[in-house]
Amino acid sequence: MLDWTVVTAAFLTAAVEWVEAFTIVLAVSLSIGWRAAGGAALAALAVLAVMTVATGGVLNLGLEVRWLQLAIGVFLLLFGVRWLAKAVARGAGMKAMHDEAEIFAETRAELSRGDRSASWLIAFKGVLLEGLEVWLIVAAFGLHGRAWISSGAGAAAALVVVLAAGLAVRAPLTRVPENAIKFVVGVMITAFGTYWTFEAVAGERAWPFGDLSLLALAAFYALGGLSLIALIRRTRPVGATA
Amino acid sequence: MKAFLKTLFGDAGTVTVVALVMIAETALTAIGQAGLGAFLIPIAVLAGVARLATR
Repeated sequence: MLDWTVVTAAFLTAAVEWVEAFTIVLAVSLSIGWRAAGGAALAALAVLAVMTVATGGVLNLGLEVRWLQLAIGVFLLLFGVRWLAKAVARGAGMKAMHDEAEIFAETRAELSRGDRSASWLIAFKGVLLEGLEVWLIVAAFGLHGRAWISSGAGAAAALVVVLAAGLAVRAPLTRVPENAIKFVVGVMITAFGTYWTFEAVAGERAWPFGDLSLLALAAFYALGGLSLIALIRRTRPVGATA
Repeated sequence: MKAFLKTLFGDAGTVTVVALVMIAETALTAIGQAGLGAFLIPIAVLAGVARLATR
């Protein structure tokens, strides 16, 4: 039975990363062709699949959950605050709303300096690095209630959807509402990270309302993030950089 | 390797924010004020987000 909360969270998180990975592969494909670029992407995905299976095996060895919660909670916080801060900065007009055009241009510039094998490596490295974030999210959400299948299914479904959309348009997927997704996922990951790290440090009674505190944390970060966007917009001219 | 580490941990600012949050969690627990932490820690995290967003 799938846990649809986990499926949705993993799907949204993975979709953002797959869009960025696809952008890199698309740029490389213009240099060395779809077959070679796709091969590099598949090789990276195979490495990620092995890592995911291995992680699931390690986590099922019966390690104390508290330490796993702490370790994964710290990583979730690292990702969560980064994503939320980026979404807030974009929402407030301090950064461009999309990375794809920039990633595409950067990758093309990098390719013009390299040869065929270097191009293959760029696609491999790009998919591997973007996929690493997906792997971490799959592991983190999978740990919650041992929902491995739900977590993996969400990430795999996102890959299929992004791939289908990408192959249909054969252009950087700039119409994906990336910032809205990044904001929602940033809120969710930050809430999970805060909850798990503090519970691991302070014990099971750290949160006064138990699991319901997760919802309160998500609501707090969502409202806080939206308030920050409004505040920054009021105090800084749009387009200004720090 | 540098790109791998940056993907995994983020930049120095992000690491600093999370390290400070972890120190706060540990300190509040050590002085027996974990109950207060449930309210203070989310505020600290949001302050970190604000700092990272406006730099």
